[in-house]
Amino acid sequence: MNAFFRKLRWLAQRRDKEAELREELRFHLEEEAEQRQEDGLPQYEAQLAARRKLGNLLVVEEDTREAWGWTRLEQVARDADYGLRQIRRNPGFSAIAIATLALGIGGITAMFSAVYTVLIRPLPYADADHLVMIWDDMSKNDVTSKHNSTPAEWIEWRRLNSVFTDLATSQPGDATLSGDDEPEQVPARKVSWTFWSVLGVQPMLGRVFNEDEDNKKVRVVVISHGLWQRRFGGSPDIVGRKISLNDEPYEVIGVMPQGFYFMPSRDIDIWMPASFPAWMRKNFTWHDAQIVARLKPRLTLEHARQAMSVLSLQVTAKDFRGPHSVIVNPLRGEIAGKTRTALILLLCASVALLLIACVNLANLLLSRSAVRGREVAVRTALGAGRGRLVAQFLTESLVLAAFGALAGFALALPAMRFLERLVPEAMDAARLTLDWRVLAFSAAVAIASALTFGLAPALRGSRLAPQEALRDGGRGTAGARSHWFQNSLIIVETALAVVLLTCGGLLLETFQHLRNTDLGMRTERLLTFETPLFRYKDFDRRVAFVNAELEKVRTIPGVISAGSINLIPFTNFANATFYRLEGQPTDSFAAQVALIRNVSRDYFSTVGARLREGRFFSESDRKSDSPVAIVNEPFANRHFAGRSPLGRRFQFGEKGHWYTIVGVVKQIRESGVLDEAKPAIYRVHEQCDEMDDLNAGIVVRTGVEPASIVSAVRQAIWSLDKNQPLARIQTMEVIVDRQLSTPSQSTALLGAFAVLALLLASLGIYGVLSYAVTHRTNEIGVRMALGATSRQILLSFGKRGLELTVAGLAIGLVLAAIAARSMSTLLYGFRPDYIPTVAAVSLILLAVAALACFVPARRASRLDPVIALRNE
Amino acid sequence: MSRVEASRVELLQGTLELLILRTLLAGHAHGHAIAKHIQLTSEELLQIETGSLYPALHRLEAKGWITPSWELSNKGKRARFYRLTPLGRKQLVAERSKWETFSRAMGLILNSVDQETQ
Repeated sequence: MNAFFRKLRWLAQRRDKEAELREELRFHLEEEAEQRQEDGLPQYEAQLAARRKLGNLLVVEEDTREAWGWTRLEQVARDADYGLRQIRRNPGFSAIAIATLALGIGGITAMFSAVYTVLIRPLPYADADHLVMIWDDMSKNDVTSKHNSTPAEWIEWRRLNSVFTDLATSQPGDATLSGDDEPEQVPARKVSWTFWSVLGVQPMLGRVFNEDEDNKKVRVVVISHGLWQRRFGGSPDIVGRKISLNDEPYEVIGVMPQGFYFMPSRDIDIWMPASFPAWMRKNFTWHDAQIVARLKPRLTLEHARQAMSVLSLQVTAKDFRGPHSVIVNPLRGEIAGKTRTALILLLCASVALLLIACVNLANLLLSRSAVRGREVAVRTALGAGRGRLVAQFLTESLVLAAFGALAGFALALPAMRFLERLVPEAMDAARLTLDWRVLAFSAAVAIASALTFGLAPALRGSRLAPQEALRDGGRGTAGARSHWFQNSLIIVETALAVVLLTCGGLLLETFQHLRNTDLGMRTERLLTFETPLFRYKDFDRRVAFVNAELEKVRTIPGVISAGSINLIPFTNFANATFYRLEGQPTDSFAAQVALIRNVSRDYFSTVGARLREGRFFSESDRKSDSPVAIVNEPFANRHFAGRSPLGRRFQFGEKGHWYTIVGVVKQIRESGVLDEAKPAIYRVHEQCDEMDDLNAGIVVRTGVEPASIVSAVRQAIWSLDKNQPLARIQTMEVIVDRQLSTPSQSTALLGAFAVLALLLASLGIYGVLSYAVTHRTNEIGVRMALGATSRQILLSFGKRGLELTVAGLAIGLVLAAIAARSMSTLLYGFRPDYIPTVAAVSLILLAVAALACFVPARRASRLDPVIALRNE
Repeated sequence: MSRVEASRVELLQGTLELLILRTLLAGHAHGHAIAKHIQLTSEELLQIETGSLYPALHRLEAKGWITPSWELSNKGKRARFYRLTPLGRKQLVAERSKWETFSRAMGLILNSVDQETQ
């Protein structure tokens, strides 16, 4: 400690120390000279002898300073200062270097912040790594393989499994909250009483419900922090208060802390007991429960998968469709969904971009270190060791990287605003920030990249033999040796750029395919919303209310037509039913599932659906014992490939009505824009007989901007019933855009990375060739003097650049083929045609590379041999 | 670093510091005087290199074993004089006994009667 303070004091007296040292050594010299004069030497010779005896004064000073113990730090400071001066002295080079690094570091910083938020940040559950989701694997029976499970399965699994400490269910249960304010539909979930212990969460106020309350159907709810703040003003006496949900009184018993969320959406506001009715406890076909389970300590996912697949087959043996297995996935992966692949791909792309940036800089520095050969030679001659030179070069690289990182942060911030939209809906919204983790990561990246791009030039630059370099007339040499190294750098960066371009191209192709997907309707100027129908208990009154709603809405100025459907298209994969066609045996029910939608007569014309054959519903389709139905193309193709299904009949249960098919509609992707269309059946709502359709989705075709009629629509509905809530008011275009946002954003980002990569790679080729031309001016002069034409010179330089490009292209395409395989989930089942993408990428790359080669090659061919030779 | 001429004895690593400390035991002295004193006392066998003398002095100073002061030399010029600190005195005792042990050990081995050649 003492020594430290002494050093600190010395540091403060730095300048004095230097002066003292010089005086001390001068005194020594004088003393020595005087002594020699006394020995009989003349004054001048005595002085010289003293000087000789002392040796190199600078070295002595330097060695002595080293004894002060601050030399190392001072050297770094001096090198850094030198680095700064280098930056100022070569503004062009420095600007390119810093900009290149800023792109690389900025990209990776932004991507890391998103990856951290979505894939690494702890989930708001205790020991979340032990949480898994369990889905029914229905690939044998149904159009989708990953299904919700049934409450009956939950009960059996809880009883019989050996791998989980417990399991919990979560079912959809949207509720309308009414009271003092406007009625509001709030996203809610019905969860089993085990939900809280499985997730390991506690409410911030009050308590959660227990087994008894769940089983006895006690009307209690736990609400979200958001709802508590928004609707109840954060009032502390919320616990114990009665609220009205779907016109029934519920007691609020707890408030969850801020930041708590669970699948499928961050927006869930109300958690109520599942309270399964008795029939549901034994029904293996009622697939509407998501199941989350906690692995026993020290058990792995593999244990759970094995145990559960056996157990599931055993439990579902009672199912009339036959037993099925289950899919067990980690909760985190389920929450991240497709975003995970997109983020990993984009992170890889940003790493590739940074690598290209580093390779480019390494090349630039290599060229420059050759130019700086003279400086190095002088330093070597003055006694600088190789380690000292390497340290100096690396410090300069670090200074560049530091500036690059700072500029990169400036670039990262807007990119992060964009990336925030990639955070999946099942996760709480996050504002991406440059917090200490991100900054630490980026600092590490900056240092690593400085070493990456700085080390090779530093090693090479410090290797010069001083005599050669000084004798060489100051032009500096790198020699043929450096060619293979620079060449391979060029090939590497070209290959990386090709990989990015190809992946970007494939995503773009996929995205265009998704964009151009025939949605089966005209989405522009189509307003949608939902009116929950819990206030109308019996079927006829529900139908009457929907018809009255539609009538009212049609009278609003600007409305062209209005229709209803129980579930708004593209938003819901629920509501699928077994059916059998006339003539099929009764056990066909088990194998056949189709989506089922109940619509008003004018629904199809309102959304602009198209008929393949037959007719849409008409005024004559009223409540009757011989109902009609319209099926979609996948349904028709499943059973009537090449034939017309018109006039054929089917039923939903052995005692149900027979529905006659009167039309085939072009497919509308009911379950989502990105999901393949599934077989679907449409009925007129008046001809349905189910009790479970408690929602009416309304679609309104407008001649004006849909947003402009929203308040008129509210007033129209409230004029019928002032307590009728309206939910999820949005246009069809917004629904579609939101579903395309992940593919569109990942395509845009990867595209940006790819374009930057191409730009950097071509800059790299340009830089290396330019340098070669400058460096070989002499040789060109000789060749021209010996009769080479400028055309030959042009070709010889152009050839080198293009050879490297083609080599990089070939390697890049091979790597791209491998990369494309790992991103197949981002292609949404679409099989893009590789040939056009590869062809386009190759053409673009060759064109850009040709330009990058041509400019310096042309400069070489235009050299005047006389001037070139005089350059000696 | 060693630029010792062939006819002279090369200083062992670390011994220069011991010699400086010992020299300063007699009283304060500047760098040149220290070098001269060592040279004379060793009957010219040891020649102190200026190139290593000053770094060694500054190292000892950094360790706090000697302390500098600017005083006038006997010829009336300003010179940087060094004197032992109490810490340096202690160090000298320790280093000295270490050296004596070492040199005794070396002597025992080098002067031992070799059984086999007799």
